[in-house]
Formats: sequence, C-alpha cells, structure tokens
Amino acid sequence: MEQFSQQLINALVLGGIYALIAVGYTMVYGIIELINFAHGEIFMFGAYFAFTLVTVFNLPFWVALPLSMLLCAGIGMLMDLVAYRPLRNAARLSALITAIGVSIGLQNLARIIWGARQRPFPSESLPAFLRQGIPPSEPLSAFSLTETAIALPGGAFLPYRDLCIILLALALMIALNRLVSLTKIGKAMRACAQNRVAANLMGINTNRVIVITFAIGSALGAVAGVMVGIKEIIEPTMGYYKGVAAFAAAVLGGIGNITGAMVGGLLIGFAEVFGAGYIPYGYGSGYRVAIAYIVMIAVIIIRPSGLFGKSTATRA
Amino acid sequence: MRDKLTPKNIIFFSIVGFFPLLMYAVDYINLLLSYRDIFLPTPSGDYILYTVVQVGLYTLLAVGLNIVCGFTGLLDLGYVGFYLVGGYTAGLLMVRLGFSYWMVLPLAVLNGALWGLLRGAPTLRLTGDYFAIVTFGFAELLYRIVKNEIWLIGDINGFVKNIPHITFFGIKLNQNWHHYYHILILLALVIFVTYRLQHSRVGRAWVAIREDEQAAASMGINVSRYKSLAFAVSAAIGALGGAFLAPFSSIISARTFEFWESILILCMVILGGKGSIKGSVIGAIILGSLSEILREILSNFPQFGGARYLIFGIILVLLMRYRPDGLIFKKA
Repeated sequence: MEQFSQQLINALVLGGIYALIAVGYTMVYGIIELINFAHGEIFMFGAYFAFTLVTVFNLPFWVALPLSMLLCAGIGMLMDLVAYRPLRNAARLSALITAIGVSIGLQNLARIIWGARQRPFPSESLPAFLRQGIPPSEPLSAFSLTETAIALPGGAFLPYRDLCIILLALALMIALNRLVSLTKIGKAMRACAQNRVAANLMGINTNRVIVITFAIGSALGAVAGVMVGIKEIIEPTMGYYKGVAAFAAAVLGGIGNITGAMVGGLLIGFAEVFGAGYIPYGYGSGYRVAIAYIVMIAVIIIRPSGLFGKSTATRA
Repeated sequence: MRDKLTPKNIIFFSIVGFFPLLMYAVDYINLLLSYRDIFLPTPSGDYILYTVVQVGLYTLLAVGLNIVCGFTGLLDLGYVGFYLVGGYTAGLLMVRLGFSYWMVLPLAVLNGALWGLLRGAPTLRLTGDYFAIVTFGFAELLYRIVKNEIWLIGDINGFVKNIPHITFFGIKLNQNWHHYYHILILLALVIFVTYRLQHSRVGRAWVAIREDEQAAASMGINVSRYKSLAFAVSAAIGALGGAFLAPFSSIISARTFEFWESILILCMVILGGKGSIKGSVIGAIILGSLSEILREILSNFPQFGGARYLIFGIILVLLMRYRPDGLIFKKA
C-alpha cells in the first residue's frame, strides 16, 4: 500500500511532465499536421538553459525558469521560420524529414555545447522546498524526509518538489485551456486547426498563429524540461526518450486534441511508472521506455484517432 | 547502364576490380619510402580498404531502403531493425551453434524477410507519418529487446563477441581485400535483383502505388500483395547487410543499431534521390565516406563528438529545403 501510493505520486509527476510536452506536439499537429520531431529537443534545451542560467549566470531559480521558457519559445519560433515555413506547401513527408533533421541537429548541438555526460540540476540553487529530500539510492527514512516532504497517511511521502511539479503542471494546463477557449488568439488557433485556408480567407494571419503556437508549445516544453532536470537528470538524449513518450501520449489522446494530450500524458505516466514498478524480474525497468512505444504502436494500428480524436479518412 | 564494353566502362570496372591491389601498392610504396625516411601524409591503404568496405555496406543498406522509401514512397524510419535482425541471426547462430557463414547467410536473409512481413502486415493500411512512426517504434522495440534479453544474447548491452571468421573451403577470409570482394559481390547481386525488379511488372506496380494507391488498386493491382513484397525484399536486403556485418566486424552490440543509423541511411537515399538505384548508391558513397572522414577528423576533438550528426541534420534540412528530390533525380 505504501509502495502503491508512492508510485501513484511518481506517476502523477511523470504524467504531468508528459502532458506538458505532449501539448506541444498536439498543438502543432492540430494546425499544420506536422509531427514536430524536434519538440523533444526543445524540452531538453529548456532544461539546459535553466541549468546554465543558474550555474553560469548565478540567477535565482525563479528568474531562470521564465527566462528559459522565453529562450525556448524563441528557438521554437526560429525553428518554424527557418525550417518549417518554407515547406508549408511541400509534400508532408518532406516536412517530417526536416523535423527529424532539426531534431538530430539540435540534440548534437547540445552535446557539443554542454557535453554528453549527465548533469544533475545544482540543488543549492533551488529554493529550499524544491531540494531533493531523499537521494534515490538511500532507503526511505522519516528522519531525512520531514523537512522536504509531507507525510501522507499510509506511510507514503509527498515531497514538496513533486507537489510543486504537479501543481505547476496543473496550473499551466488550466491556463492553456483558458487561452485556447477564451482569448482571441485561441480562437484564431482553433480556426486554423479546423481549416487553415478558410481561416486565412477570414483575415487571420495564419503564419503568425503558427509561430505563436510553436512559441507556446516550446515554452511549456521548457517548463517540463526544468521539472525533469530537478527531479531526474539532464543529458542530451533526454529530449529523445521523453519526447517519444510524450508523442505517444499525444497519439493516445488523439493527436491534435489538447485535452486528449493532457489525459494521454497522465495515462502514459501511469503506464510507465506502474509498468516499471510491478512487472517482475527487472523486465519493467529495462523496458520502461518501451512501454510508451508499445502503447503508441497499438494505438496507431488499432485506433489511429486515439481516445478523443475525430476519425479522419487518411493520415497521409 | 546497359552493359556495353565502352572504354569508360572498362576503366570503371578495372578500377573497381583492382582497387585492393591499388591500395596495397600504396602501402608497399609507403613501406619502401619509409626505408629512406620519407613519410608521406597518406592514410594506410589497408585502412582505406576497410573504410571502403564499410561504405559498401552502407550502399547495400541504402539500396535496400530505397525499395520501400523510393519505390513505394513510404517513409521507413526503422530500417536499422532489419539490419539488427540479420546481424543477430548471423552472430548468434555462428557463435552459439557453430553454423558456417554460408549456411547462416540465407537463414538471416529469410529471417529478415519474415520480420519484414511481420512488420508489414499491421501497417499495410497506414501511410505517411503514421507509417513512419510505427516503423520507428518497431526498430526501437527490437533495439530494447537485444539490449535487455540477456538470456538470448548472452551479454549485456547486446554484445555478441568473438564471431568467427568466414571460411571458404578451409581458407580464412579475414583480410580486408577478402571483405572488399565479398561486399562487392553481394552489392552487385543486390543491385542486379533490385534493378530487375524495378524494371519489371513488380517495380511498375510499386511506383503506381506510390503515385496513387487508389488508382493503382482500381487498375487491378493487388496493393497489399505488392506492398508486402516490397517490405519483404527491402527487409531481406537489410538482413543481408547485418549478416555480412557480423563476421566482418567480429563483434556486434546494440549500439550499432541505434535510431540514428536509420536516419543516416535514410539521408543517403534522400541525398541521391528517392526511387533511383543509382542515386542511392551515389548518396551512400558520398555520405558514407563523409561519415568516415568526419569520424577520423573528430576523433582528435572528443568534445565535438556530436558534430558528425549535427552535420547530417543540417544536410537533411538543407536538402528538403532546396532539393527535396535529391541531387540526382530521374522521374521513374
């Protein structure tokens, strides 16, 4: 029971992170029908930007986080302007191949800039309540936990850090939902997703809407990157693994559907944590990443429209 | 490409045929000069030969990938999965069961074709980016399996070590010039088969499916059957490459079959021009040599280890922007 509630917390945290990344995939796909392979790399850059701002420029964490969001939004916009916009009317597979090229390029750029080794987020730069309560190697003991975690009935601990991640993810999701359903730019986005040509004819500057979509998705991805940085580790390949899992989440929820991406993110988070925790003989941990792949393949083959998506005739 | 005995062809084939001799001559001259304390800044001929064998292997894979990507027009992001199947079929059978290479070669090819059909069956209905994503996931799953199933592979991280050399009537084929002629024969065979397929009823059916699947079906082409055939042939060629790799490098590991390798091969096909065998060969030669040269240069700068793939990424983006049909493109 104790293990179960601990896993539940981990699943919520991971699910929240996946949901934040998946939203970026799904928003871009909804409007320009492009699988933005490089979105995972943006997420990785978010973590590295925050890391650099905190360690090299000695900025406080609460300044580094929004700055990192801004920088990532900039990269997302630049990516659209340089790589994707010229291909807007080209064959769709060309755009996908470009996205893969951008992804490889950015990942290896990060490897050149920051090196290939794994780096932890420097915990001394974090606010006290976000610091790691328990080193993952040590067994749980109430002694080290009381300062950084809330003891839950049943023996599990909810670290403040995890609580913060869950609440921040939730807040951002609600904000995004409000933005898309209530504001003028949100309305423009929905119009573009329904029919880009018609939206353009109605006087919507579709190119501007697309750039803003990239910026929003990238900023949310950056937050997710920082979250993974403070909870796990920062490395150049993190965008690739987490990116694929988040893409699986977007597919599961029905690609193009923002609510679907949020639900899909949570579900993939749960599948991964409980799969890794409860499948015996160490299979779970070795195949942790593979769970997302299996879900993704199964959804595409059995129900390509996902849980919430509208079924369309082709995905050419 | 009609086989005429023009002077150009004679020169071409004699260079290809006597290339190892040329390289060993370079080594011999270097050796002679070194007695006189003259050191030419040339890489060793044997090393060049080794690199050429690797480029030949990439060419084989590019020609195989071109069948699915070029002829039937489906984006395959998991081609390395079949390379993996061939490599591990050959490696494990040779190490564990002591099979001879010549027995393993057809088995690996058949196994590859089988996996191609297995992957093809559920993806027949898929097109475009959904097909790409499923192929990507498939290769990643295979990669996870060889990395994790220690009972099957026998070592961590998918290492199969001490794969025996190829023997031919008792002669050990372990020199680089042996490998050179070996890959040359395999490549010639593969190009011949692919060329004949391309210019047959089958090849025309593939191109018809690429151009318009519904129109092809309404003209009486059995789309599922021809697509499955393309998957099987393409996968078999990938597995052939893997079966060659196992004794050639005498050690295989899961890292050889990472996703980026698929992208590198895809990059070769696209650079040359999808749907053209000649294009795939030229693309593979250009990028394969570039890859090896960069590896050699960058080995002096360990901090720029990622630069090789950064350059491939930039090449992909630039190609899609300015020459989406490749450098050499002939409408089939």
